[in-house]
Amino acid sequence: MADLSINLAGIKSPNPFWLASAPPTNSGYQVQRAFEAGWGGAVWKTLGDPILNVSSRFAAINFNGQRVAGFNNIELITDRPLDVNLKEIYETKKRFPNHAIIASLMVEPKQEKWHEIVKRVEDVGVDGLELNFGCPHGMAERGMGSASGQVPSLVEKQTYWVKEAAKTPVIVKLTPNITDITVTAEAAVNGGADAISMINTINSLMGVDLDTWNTIPHVAGKGAHGGYCGPAVKPIALNMVAECARNPRISVPISGIGGISNWQDAVEFILMGAAGVQVCTAAMHHGFRIVEDMIEGLDHYLDSKNISAVSELIGKSVPRYSDWGNLDLHYNITAQINTDVCINCNKCHIACEDTSHQCIDMIKGDNGRSYLKVREEDCVGCNLCAIVCPVEGAITMVEQTSMQPMTWNERQAALNSSK
Amino acid sequence: MSEHEQYLAEKEKIDQLLSEGYNIYHAVENLDGAFVEFFHLKSGTKKTLHIRTANARKYFSSIFIQQKSS
Repeated sequence: MADLSINLAGIKSPNPFWLASAPPTNSGYQVQRAFEAGWGGAVWKTLGDPILNVSSRFAAINFNGQRVAGFNNIELITDRPLDVNLKEIYETKKRFPNHAIIASLMVEPKQEKWHEIVKRVEDVGVDGLELNFGCPHGMAERGMGSASGQVPSLVEKQTYWVKEAAKTPVIVKLTPNITDITVTAEAAVNGGADAISMINTINSLMGVDLDTWNTIPHVAGKGAHGGYCGPAVKPIALNMVAECARNPRISVPISGIGGISNWQDAVEFILMGAAGVQVCTAAMHHGFRIVEDMIEGLDHYLDSKNISAVSELIGKSVPRYSDWGNLDLHYNITAQINTDVCINCNKCHIACEDTSHQCIDMIKGDNGRSYLKVREEDCVGCNLCAIVCPVEGAITMVEQTSMQPMTWNERQAALNSSK
Repeated sequence: MSEHEQYLAEKEKIDQLLSEGYNIYHAVENLDGAFVEFFHLKSGTKKTLHIRTANARKYFSSIFIQQKSS
């Protein structure tokens, strides 16, 4: 078996799978059950001045038969007093000394507030702290969460205040509700963060009931924006992780979060620079035991690649992620249709004819039967036909021979030098 | 004429000038495509091609980069 243990900025855990700060980590009962199931770590549901919640808190989008393709919540941080949470953290850490417990924290942007909560939380033996600068709903209206996380100077200052008092590693959790997450990531690093985590949830309104005209969810006929997460946000999160991982000024480990539902998703985040991952929606959908498949799948994957430790995977795909201007303009792929597999549904032809480059023809063969054929010379390799095709293996994108590589940046440099 | 045929026609014009000993020495790009200026070193003659298709604009750029590097 490969070594699945990680060391994220000094926080050690037996595997890279942590539960994210959220409803699944609300109590000692839950976190202990999670550790029993195999989770390597847990970020305790955010601690701060205990809040009041509303009823009717979650909503989900089901898409084409997939339940919970996206998930939305308007639940706030913990509604339990700090001493109750601390007692349970202490008991949990005592029972599971080798598992990572990270305390998520959120207080007003005041130095003394941060110092107080850091000291009280570290006294019960947490392995690290995660500063919640990301929650987009409710707390943000009070100047905390994403309201803090959207202002680089506030991210830097509050991180600095925490580092003044902290003895354990400090992870700064970033909001995606910002144009360029690398700006706030850099602010966290400048403030002394030992690691960053991303993404928190995205501002969202899940829907409107066509009969009642109420928002989904609604609280007695009124709604407010929530935080969106789950499989639908994975591409957004993966890009943000990758953008930070390839930024030389962001030199701290990354804890990847956002729609991670299985071991394959986790490997993608790790390849793109995450030193570990956090999961919430998938656990809320399927329960804590999904971690068993995650551990087994990751272990088999590493074995299949002859890799002895998951840490060797970290960031392996980062050099392959760049700016558009560095992509090869001469790289050329074209679609090929396997008529032995194709069911002649015509979806590729319609998609190409209506919305792409009009290069798939329906041809009548000598035997009178119709078949679809790509005019390769007109195909730009957009992939749309393969994307809409309902039959696996019917359409393959094939690399063509091309000229020497030339990027847009190289081209423009050459043209500009001729002026 | 398909876009591919337009590309082949433009490529042919570029290749023709290159075979006649012209080199690309300048290109101006605007909303209408690229105006590529060729120069014949021996005769001192200049010629300009209006290149419209994307593939031909990639093509002359690669030729230009090759010429500069050699």
